[in-house]
Amino acid sequence: MKVLVAIKRVIDPYVKIRVKQDHSGVETQNVKMAMNPFDEIAVEEAIRLKEKGLVEEVIVVSIGDKSVQETLRTGLALGADSAIHVETDQLFSSLLIAKILKQMVQKTGSQLIILGKQAIDSDNAQTGSMLAALLEWPLASFASKIMLQGDKCQVTCEVDGGLQTVELTLPAVITTDLRLNTPRYASLPNIMKAKTKPLTVIPFNSFDISPNMDMHTIDVSPPPVRKAGIKVASVQELVEKLRHEAKVLL
Amino acid sequence: MNTETIAEELSSLVGNKNILIDYDSRMIYAKDRTQNLIPDPSLIVFPRSESQIISIVQWANHTRTALVPSGGRTGYSGGAVAQSKEVVVSFDKMNHILAYNSEDQTVRCQPGVITKNLQNFALENNLYYPVDFASSGSSQIGGNIATNAGGIKVIRYGLTRNWVYGLNVVTGNGDLLHLNKGLIKNASGYDLRHLFIGSEGTLGIITEAIIKLSTLPSESKVALLGVQEKNTMVEILNIYRKDLQVTAFEFFSEAALKHVMCESNISHPFKRAMPFYILLEYESSEFNDEVFLGLTESCINSSSINDAIISQNMAQYKYLWSLRENISMSLSKYLPYKYDISVMPSKIPVFIEEIEDLLNKTYPDFEIIWFGHIGDGNLHLNILKPVELKGSEFFEICDEMSDAIYSLVNYYNGSISAEHGIGLLKKKFLRYTKNDVEIGYMREIKKIFDKNNIMNPGKIFDDS
Ligand SMILES: Cc1cc2nc3c(=O)[nH]c(=O)nc-3n(C[C@H](O)[C@H](O)[C@H](O)COP(=O)(O)OP(=O)(O)OC[C@H]3O[C@@H](n4cnc5c(N)ncnc54)[C@H](O)[C@@H]3O)c2cc1C
Repeated sequence: MKVLVAIKRVIDPYVKIRVKQDHSGVETQNVKMAMNPFDEIAVEEAIRLKEKGLVEEVIVVSIGDKSVQETLRTGLALGADSAIHVETDQLFSSLLIAKILKQMVQKTGSQLIILGKQAIDSDNAQTGSMLAALLEWPLASFASKIMLQGDKCQVTCEVDGGLQTVELTLPAVITTDLRLNTPRYASLPNIMKAKTKPLTVIPFNSFDISPNMDMHTIDVSPPPVRKAGIKVASVQELVEKLRHEAKVLL
Repeated sequence: MNTETIAEELSSLVGNKNILIDYDSRMIYAKDRTQNLIPDPSLIVFPRSESQIISIVQWANHTRTALVPSGGRTGYSGGAVAQSKEVVVSFDKMNHILAYNSEDQTVRCQPGVITKNLQNFALENNLYYPVDFASSGSSQIGGNIATNAGGIKVIRYGLTRNWVYGLNVVTGNGDLLHLNKGLIKNASGYDLRHLFIGSEGTLGIITEAIIKLSTLPSESKVALLGVQEKNTMVEILNIYRKDLQVTAFEFFSEAALKHVMCESNISHPFKRAMPFYILLEYESSEFNDEVFLGLTESCINSSSINDAIISQNMAQYKYLWSLRENISMSLSKYLPYKYDISVMPSKIPVFIEEIEDLLNKTYPDFEIIWFGHIGDGNLHLNILKPVELKGSEFFEICDEMSDAIYSLVNYYNGSISAEHGIGLLKKKFLRYTKNDVEIGYMREIKKIFDKNNIMNPGKIFDDS
């Protein structure tokens, strides 16, 4: 059985985000990029399934410009068998991405798709569920535990106020949450091996999908700057200010 | 003079808000990170300006009161410890960056500026202050200068000394000196600035510094290399250094890693444990990454390195660094006896071997933790106190052990302190690094700057 893992290249979560001067987006020039952390968890889970002998092949796929190949190589270094780069310079909405992934699922003949629950840049948390809807496959989102047995998959999902365990029949889509696993480190021998693993490039225009944007970004603005705090000389003054200026005391 | 009188007189100089006298404050402010010294100061004074420092020093000369300068109190030598009713001078309230000169890329700061704050200030201006270590969130620039602090980037950027372009000091005699004034070149006789760098508060008080900032390094990557033998490490460093800009080359043992894992509750970074690890940081680029991979691959093929992991993002970068940086803290509960020794890097392999032989033969029951800035020839050997021994008994045995270890240091022309300083803890061993004639000159120098011996007396060497 083949597992397809979708990964997105995002700004490294440790980088301080800066909004572009013209408010058209955030600054990505010369900014450190990394694999979306939830996708890293998805890759790790797929590799663990393979190490347990439950799946035969792990394929990572990413959509974006040439630079995503670096992220794909990281996926290969972690243990994926092959990679697919869908090449485009455009930034697509979740729905367009889901449409592309649907075709990739069909092309690769994958039976299980694992994705991060959301990308930390757009924070939409939509691609996985849209993909499941397009494929008309069952979906388990925000997984914190996955148990695969034959064509049945038991998934523990993080829901508001607790955990929910569901059973899916493959083929299926799963999105990962933080507690699912701790991703491993890329070891040097595996990084070297990754260099010779197959990475196929497919141009976006070879898909029968209209690139028309169904979503437009109108404005990206930084959060308002917090006002500096003040120091008060006494408790009385503090109470006074809380009452008359902040108006939080009666 | 009794404490009340001291408090009264100092209040008249700095105001009574800038004095602390209560028990808790005295226990906190009169002590650094050394664990076996009991503080007993008279009080703590917090000057707010250079002129207040001058008046405090003049008062101390007048009253023959000893002063102990106290920075971030992260020292490991007892340099900032007050044990005999000294007045502790703290720079907590002189913590401002006074000026930034973008043309010269220098900052003028007060002594109490926290090292990390200077680093952040540099980053905000797209520059870099490269002196860094695990305690930089607490240590102060004044303390760093007074100890000539080193840290994890010495291999690339050198010690604190390299970045101090100017110093204001108030000597023990109460004179204010403006040393070197930020100049790059200055061939006008003795450069007294360098005497104050590393003087551990014994010559005077550092009241202001002009610090040079560096350009921002390119993005760096860090790798953790697992090795079988610790005596091949210098060889490995040289392999990398030929073709790469190595910015850190640190080493630690599996035993050290175990303590960190236990303390921070994290799992092992490698599938298979290795006896020793090297944390290597280098300046990354597409080209350098390839060079790095190639070199590492050939080291693995020749078995000098057994396994390696490489940071793929900043979270991993920070995690790998934390394995090294959390060692000291994870050991502190064992009351470790800490060595901070150095030899020339080329001598490291034999040196380590001899120390290991010695310890195995004489103290087979002690747990020995190896780590250090191996690229600088600096080893932080830590001996952990066995539970069954009392602290005092343990330190007594360790002092004996030190005579043997320091004899080896002496034989290899090394130093008994690479970067922490002599302070109180190591003064009885100073002769293993410096002979009597040299120590004699040091004493004379102290007398010139501090006639009445009020500046941190009893540190580095005993009062004569
Ligand atoms: C976890 C940990 C890791 C460390 N790692 C390193 C490392 O990698 N490299 C390294 O070099 N050190 C290291 N240290 C030791 C320590 O952080 C440094 O020695 C540091 O420079 C001390 O600065 P401080 O402000 O804390 O000084 P303090 O400990 O307060 O004082 C140190 C000495 O400086 C004198 N002093 C302080 N301020 C002044 C002043 N304004 N004028 C004159 N004298 C003054 C004191 O009297 C004392 O003698 C480490 C410490 C810890 C706790």
